This record gives sequence, structure tokens and C-alpha cells, in this order.
Amino acid sequence: MNRYKNGLMAASLAAAMATAGSAAAQEDAIKFGLLQDFTAVYTFVSGEYNQGQRDYLTLVNEEGGLDGTMIEAIVRDHGNEPQRGIEAYNRAKEEGAVLFDFFSTPVSRALVDSVLEDEVVLITALHGRGDASDGETFPYVFPMMATYWSQATVLANHIEENEGGLEGKKIALVHIDSPFGREPLPVLEALAEEEDFELRNFPYPSPGNEQSATWTEVRHFRPDHVFIWGAGGGQPVSVREAIRNGISPEDIYSVVWLAETDAENVGADTMAGVKRFEATASGTDTPILQRIQEKVIDADLGAGDAANVGTSYYNVGVASMAVAVEAARLALESEGAPLTGPKLKAGFEMISDFDAEGLMPPITITASDHQGGGAGRVSQWNGERWEPVSDWTAAYQDVVQVEIEEGAEAFRQGN
Amino acid sequence: MFYRLAGVHHTRYQSARRLWPVPADRWQVLFLLALAVVAPFFLSNLYLGSYLLPWLIWSAAALSLTLLMGTAGQLHFGFAAVMAIGAYSSIHLVRFGVPFEIALVGAGVTAAVIGSLFGMAALRVKGLYLVMATLAMQYLVDWVIINVPAISGGAQATLRTPTVSFLLVPVDSLVSRYYLALIWVVLVTLFFLNVKRTSFGRALVAIRDKDFAAAVIGVDPFRTKLVAFFTSSFMGGVSGAILAFAYYRAVTPEQFSFNVSIQLVAMVLVGGLGSAVGGFLGAGFVLLIPIFLTNLVAWLAGAGWIAISANLIAHVPLMIYGALIIGFLLFEPLGLAKIYDNIRKYFLVWPFRHSRS
Amino acid sequence: MYYFAELVINGALTGLMYSLVALGFVLIYKSSGVPNLAAGALVMIGAYMVWLLSSYGLPLFVSILLGLAIMFGLGLLIERLLLRRMVGQPIIMVVMLTLGLEILLRGLGPGLLGAAPKPLDLGIGLAPIIVGDIFINRSYLIGGALALLMIGAALLFFRTRLGTKLRAVSDDHVSSWAVGISVERAIGVSWGLAGIAAVAAGVLWGSVQGVDWTLSMLLFPAIAVVILGGIDSILGVLVGGLIVGMLGSIIPGYVDQIVGGGTRDVVTSLIILITIMVRPYGIFGREDIERI
Repeated sequence: MNRYKNGLMAASLAAAMATAGSAAAQEDAIKFGLLQDFTAVYTFVSGEYNQGQRDYLTLVNEEGGLDGTMIEAIVRDHGNEPQRGIEAYNRAKEEGAVLFDFFSTPVSRALVDSVLEDEVVLITALHGRGDASDGETFPYVFPMMATYWSQATVLANHIEENEGGLEGKKIALVHIDSPFGREPLPVLEALAEEEDFELRNFPYPSPGNEQSATWTEVRHFRPDHVFIWGAGGGQPVSVREAIRNGISPEDIYSVVWLAETDAENVGADTMAGVKRFEATASGTDTPILQRIQEKVIDADLGAGDAANVGTSYYNVGVASMAVAVEAARLALESEGAPLTGPKLKAGFEMISDFDAEGLMPPITITASDHQGGGAGRVSQWNGERWEPVSDWTAAYQDVVQVEIEEGAEAFRQGN
Repeated sequence: MFYRLAGVHHTRYQSARRLWPVPADRWQVLFLLALAVVAPFFLSNLYLGSYLLPWLIWSAAALSLTLLMGTAGQLHFGFAAVMAIGAYSSIHLVRFGVPFEIALVGAGVTAAVIGSLFGMAALRVKGLYLVMATLAMQYLVDWVIINVPAISGGAQATLRTPTVSFLLVPVDSLVSRYYLALIWVVLVTLFFLNVKRTSFGRALVAIRDKDFAAAVIGVDPFRTKLVAFFTSSFMGGVSGAILAFAYYRAVTPEQFSFNVSIQLVAMVLVGGLGSAVGGFLGAGFVLLIPIFLTNLVAWLAGAGWIAISANLIAHVPLMIYGALIIGFLLFEPLGLAKIYDNIRKYFLVWPFRHSRS
Repeated sequence: MYYFAELVINGALTGLMYSLVALGFVLIYKSSGVPNLAAGALVMIGAYMVWLLSSYGLPLFVSILLGLAIMFGLGLLIERLLLRRMVGQPIIMVVMLTLGLEILLRGLGPGLLGAAPKPLDLGIGLAPIIVGDIFINRSYLIGGALALLMIGAALLFFRTRLGTKLRAVSDDHVSSWAVGISVERAIGVSWGLAGIAAVAAGVLWGSVQGVDWTLSMLLFPAIAVVILGGIDSILGVLVGGLIVGMLGSIIPGYVDQIVGGGTRDVVTSLIILITIMVRPYGIFGREDIERI
């Protein structure tokens, strides 16, 4: 065991770095750990998402912070590797971060227990365990936005209300062959039972760059509507294959992961008519985005390419931080400084009817419901941008609740 | 007092054949072991839990693979799958009510049995074809884990490790998990260091150097290769179980994906094929360098020394890491172990120039 | 019946597109015995290169031509700077070197040019070609045709003067030196040609799925193609690609619904395994006789 010497040297060097790093930072700032995957599986979203988060925090700081308290983002790449995520989490925690966003399902899963033990807040907007909506079982985990289950029900509800009802329809769920892809399945199966439609699922192998065999099967099923459930490079392939196999774009419904980049990829005109679930409004029409444009982008304080401002994923980032900052504000107001994990948790649970000035559906987070209601809307690509075709709404939450409880129960049992 | 070979004269074979014939080396090992034992008392939770602990466990895994790749010369690009089998079987065994100590052995045996199936390919082919065959098996194991909910743990595909006790000591705190890992890595290291002095170890080396020639001198390649796969997979399986219980505390399929297999091979190669020091150094390098680079680049960027886009900042560590691997293979193909050895030899005779070891 | 025919045809076409990735691998292995596991990353870099050039406003075919030239150069450069130093090292070192190269390229491409997926439109259009009740994917048809063309060109190339030299080099390095062939240059050329194949594969796959790092994951099906066809056979790339593509389409087409999971990766893995256990050198590969 002659080998620790080298490591101790590395460790002491790293320690020196860490102290130097934290000395430079402000002592009283609130720190958010935005430790995400910029180099592996989540690259399709993390760049724009993180840019939105940082631009919003810059906006808050430019407007004077929370009563003068600044918010500082600790941004690190963990490459979707749990061991790097764990290191980044522990380091950021030592630097005093009270809120974490890993934006990676494996890393979030690996750290759920640590977060619950350490009493710091973990936000899992649009990723991670859907059953974390159960605030009693996961007191420090906040999905904040509609889980994949709620997304499936909102899409189904749109068909029920605007496309002539679900009854007797044939619906194909074409999904990536992973736990994420299969996630909506139980909810949709329950709905199929309840609303009497025929459901079949068609998995395609990860990463989904080649799906032709799957879509041949789908075509022979002759579905009325198709749900596509994938992310990244697989999504444009799904849309193309669907259109190629004679499925009208209007009949394609996507999970939240379908954005402007995918439309460009498929061909902006070709994709016109495709619908998707959205958790936040896209575009720059909302007041928050206007202020970001004015005070951050025009002042040259932006965190990245100005062309990304207002894209779907950018706005998801903005919304996630808007909720977090609102929670921090409520926490500071009622509990006082300094902000700690338990205080921030209480702040989150005080959020009620918060819609980030129209950027997202009004959400109300309670001690038992950390999903915030599970609302969203359906929007349609019109060739240039996403146009909402429904109001903010939540649907079939009773069915979703069954899944949440089942998952939470399994977690309590030790899963 | 600096000349560390002073007074070292072996007069009996027994003393010359010790693991560390030079007293200075022995003291160094003991000192480092003592340091590792008291580490929880002077290292913060960050360095203990996120650096030293994973390093120890991955070193054990890398040593298990080194036994196969370095000592026996059988290439294996699916070792993460072997560890996955160990991790999953240990958790399921513990949940079934089996005591943790026995579950660890059970995990090792399951991994070893399935791992020996990987070895079947080695009986037929070697070199590049063996790489491809083990790689394909990695994909198969991954697929089975993901697609059988009974193994992966249902919809969320996450299995949390139950709280267990090891030899009556509950493994719940970071310190106890650290000692569990330390015990295992010490065991693996002792086994690895001693295996080369047994007839089995020498048979492995004979197979590595030339299996036909080994057969001629009476080493059964069929049996030896299978036992090599069995032993190495046993150790890998237990390492996987320790990884699950002592470090991750929840297993998901991604933790044992193909990338992890590549990382393990990189550990073995960058460390230096076939040496124990290399296993430790290689594991440290592959595991900690990306973390270290990420922090370094983020710190430099935060201090305003490099003004580049956030996207590039995230990718620079990846580039440097790739370049480092290439650099090692080009300029020091014998790995970190060789560099360590050069330094050691230099200081062994310091302040004299000539080398004798 | 139509269902089966459609699975076969589209499978065969995608298989041909996999063989385009495999072609670069085989060219290099044939000449120098180096298994280039960075083949997928080269495809990604090729696609990024064409996207970059066309984003400067160059017409697509000009950027493809320029991309071909640049990637030919990059192939030469990799051989000269990295692989030539590795001559005589054990195979595992060479494998690891190409894996290191893959990590480096995966950092360089998305790092410098942006990680979000980039569109690469070849203007092929989505309307399928319909024969009876069979829908044939138009971009796969073009891709498959192009792959056939490239493989044909590669086969013809080995009949030219330079190609003959390459064949000699792949037979025996020392004897090639003895008759005055520059082995180094021949191996370099094979890397350059692999760069060209990478651009073709990158453009085709990039137009299907967008350009990002996941293009480098094409390596796995390409390896199945190579192993099945024979690791040093150009003809094997063609046949292997067709078989891997068709099996990877037909079997999931019937089995997925029963199993409830995507089985294509299983088929690909099994092809690799069975080939290695039954006939390691593949259908057309050269059987090595080992000397003690």
C-alpha cells in the first residue's frame, strides 16, 4: 500500500483549491448547487436549461437580490456519473449550498438518501423519481413541475376534450427502452381501462437514432394518436419516422422533451402540427423574460448565447429558479436569515398559486404534494414556434396519485 | 541514514523472498496503512466520503481486473457487468434475509459463476476477439438487468441497500462504511500480492506469456483460464457489492454501464498492467482526475483566468482526460506503476547514482 | 407478408448505413491491424465538420467535399502522431489508445462547436417510397445506395496501383518493405480513407438524427457488422451489414411485443457472441494461424 502518498498530495492540492475558491465567494450569499450533466446523456437540454437558470439568478441579483442577499450559483459538470455527482454534491454542501439541481436521473437517484439525511433541498424538475411528489415520504425533494405521469394524463385529457374523446381510440406509446421511457405506461394503462381505449407500447432501443422497425410495427397497429416518449436525438427521429409512416403531425403527442432544436432538425415546416406537453411557456412574451432581456442580456451579463433566450428549455430553467427563489424569499420572510435547508423546505411548502408572472401554471406546493398540482398545457408547433392549444390544466390526478403512493410506499419499504 | 539499502543483506532465502525485502518499503507500507486506518479522524467527510472511499473500492475492483488482465493476460471489457451481478445479488440476498457476511460471499459466487461464462469465450479466442465478446456480454447483462423488474427493482429501477451489520458492527455511518471498504481492499491487496507466489499464480503468468507453451509444460490452459475468470469475477462481484453497500447505497443500472467497464480497463492500463501499485494509482487517476479537472477548470474560470463559454468549460476536463490517457500510452506504456518504480529506484540508492534493487 | 418484406428492406438499408461506419474500421484494420474503436467518434467529428462548414453559408456539396478533404487529413494526422508510435505494442494498449482518442474527440467536437444537437438537412424529404403496402424510407434508400457505392469504390480501389500496395501491406509488412513499398504511407492512406468513410457516415446519420455526440454510439452496431463479416474483409462489411441490419429489424419486429422490451441490442450482442464462438474470423475474414 505504497500508494496513498500520491493521493494525499492530490487531496491536499484540491483542498487548497477549495479553500481558495470559497474564500473568493461572498460569505453571506445564498448558494444553489446547479450540478448538472453538460457532457453526456443530457447535453440536449442542459446547456439551455442551465443558461436560463443562471440568467434568472443574475436578474434577481441585478434587481437587488432578496432584500440585499445575493444568490450564487455553483455550476459543475458531473457527466451523468454518480461518483462525480456525489463528489460535487459533498463539495457544494461544504461550501454552503442549500439547494441542489442535478438534472440527471441516475445522479438524483443516487443522492436522494443523502439529501434526506443532510436536510438540504433537491429540486427534480422534469426528471428523477415521480413518486417524490409525496412530500411526506420525500420531505426534501421537490419535483415542482408536472411529473411524467401528469404529462401523460394532460396529453390524454387533451385528446378526450378536443380530439373527439378517448373512447374506442387506438393509442400507440412509442418510447425509448429505458425506465424513463416506460414511466408513463402504468398511468396510461389505468386510463385505458377507465376511458376504454386501446393502448399498445412500442419500445425502441437506446439511443434511438434508428427506429424504422419499430415504426413499421406502429403503422400496422393503425393508431389514431401516437405518444412519443424519448429525449435528445431520438425525438426528431421519432417525429420523422411517424410522418414518414403516414401518421399526421396533428396526431403526434410528445413528452416535454421536444424543442426548437428538434423542430429545426426535423425541418421546421415538416413538423408543423406536432403537439407536445409543456410545463412552461416558451418565447419571450412573459414579463420575466422581458426583464431578463432588458437587464441581463442587453447589459451583456448573459451566461451564454443570446439566441437561446426564450427557447423551451431555457424557460424551463428560468421557471425552476423562479420557484426556488420564490421559496427562498418566503423562507427568509417568515423564518429569517440565514437560510438553511429546513427553512428553504418550509419556504417551498408555502408557495401557493405562484405562476412566475405567467411563465408557468399556478402551482401550489404543500407538505404532502411536492408536485405542485401537476398542471401543464399542450402546445403545437406552428412552423415557427410553439403555440399553446390548451389552458394550463391538470388532469386525472387521481390516477397519478395511485402511482405516486405506490412508488412512495415502495421507497418506504426500502426500494 | 538516507541510503535505504544500508545494512540490507539477506542471508536466508526466507528473508529475501518476503513481500517487501527492503525494510524501508515495509515501513512505508505500514505507515500508509496506518494513515488509512486513522484517515477518518483527520479527513473531512468530503475527502473521506467522496475521494478516499470510492478510491479504495475502485482500487479493489481494479486489482480484481488486474489479476485477470495483467497476470493472466485475458482481456475483459465487461467487468462492470460482473460487478453489477455482485451488487444486485448481494442486495437481493440481504433482502431475502441472508446475513450480510454470507450475502457478500454469495454475491461473489454468483458473479464468479456468471463471470466464468464470460470466460467460456476466452477458451476459444483471445486478444481483440475476446474484447469484443466480453463487450457483447456486457450489453446482454445490462439488458437483462434493465428488462427484468424483479432484478432492477420495478418502475424506478432503483434498489436501495438495506441497513446491515458486518461482524456485529452496524454499517450505517460513513466511518463504518469506510472501514468496511478498507478491510476489503486490504484483503484483495494481500491476495493479489501473494497469488503470484503460488503455483496458481505462476500458471496464470505462463498462460499470459503463451498458452500453447504453458500447455506443453503441463499447465492446463482450459482449467487455468476458467479459474482465472472465476477468481477475478469473485473479487469483482464482492467489490461491486461493497460499492453498493458502502458507497452508493442505492443501485441503478447506469452505475454499471459499459462506460464503467471502459473506466476499469483504463484504470488497469494507466496504472500499469499487472502490478498492485498500478491498481491503486490507476484507480486514483481514472476516478479522481475528472473530478479534479472539473474543479480546477471551474475554479480557473471563476477566478476569471480563462474566459470561455460554459459549454467549453464543461468539456475541457473531458479533453484533458482523453489527452492524458493517450499521453500515458504513448510516453509511458508501462503506466503509473512504472513511473512510481523509477522514482522509488532513484531514491532507493540516493544519494548515489547507480541503481540496485 | 408485406410486414415482413418491409422489415427486411428497411433493415437491409439501415444495415448498409451501418456498414459505412464499419468500412472505416475495416480499412484501418486490414492495413495495420489496429482496431479503431474511435471509429464512432470519427463519424461524429465528420458530421460536425460538415455542419460547421455549411453553417458558414457554403453550399452543402461544397462543405461535404471540403469535409472529406479535412477528414482525410485528420486521418493521416492521427496515424502519424498517435498510432505510428504504438507499433509493436500489445493489442490492448492500441485498443485503449483509440478509446482515449474517442474521449478526446468527444470533448473536442461538442466542446468547441456546441453540445446541443445540430440539424444537417440533405433535402431528401420525408415522403416514403411506396411499393404495394411497403413503405421504404427514402433517406435510408439513398444512404444504402451511397454505402453500396462507397463499398464498391473501396473494392475497386484495391485493384488500383495504390490499392495493390495496400493489399501487399495488409499481407505482410516486412515483405512489403523488402519490395520497396512504403508501409507507413500505405497505413496513412488507409486512415485517410477511413476519414472519408467517416464523413459519408456522419452526413447520412447526422441528417437522420441530428449532429451531436450520440453519433459516436454507432460504434456498437458497426462492431457487430465487422465481426460478422470478417474483420479484414471489405466484402464482409457489405454482407455483414446486410445481415446485421435485417436481423436487427426482423427479430425485434416480431419479438418485441412478446418480450415487452427493445431487443435489437440483444440481437446485435448475440450476433457478436455467436460469430466469435463459432467462427471468430467471420464470414469472409482471413483465418490466422498462430505460431508458437
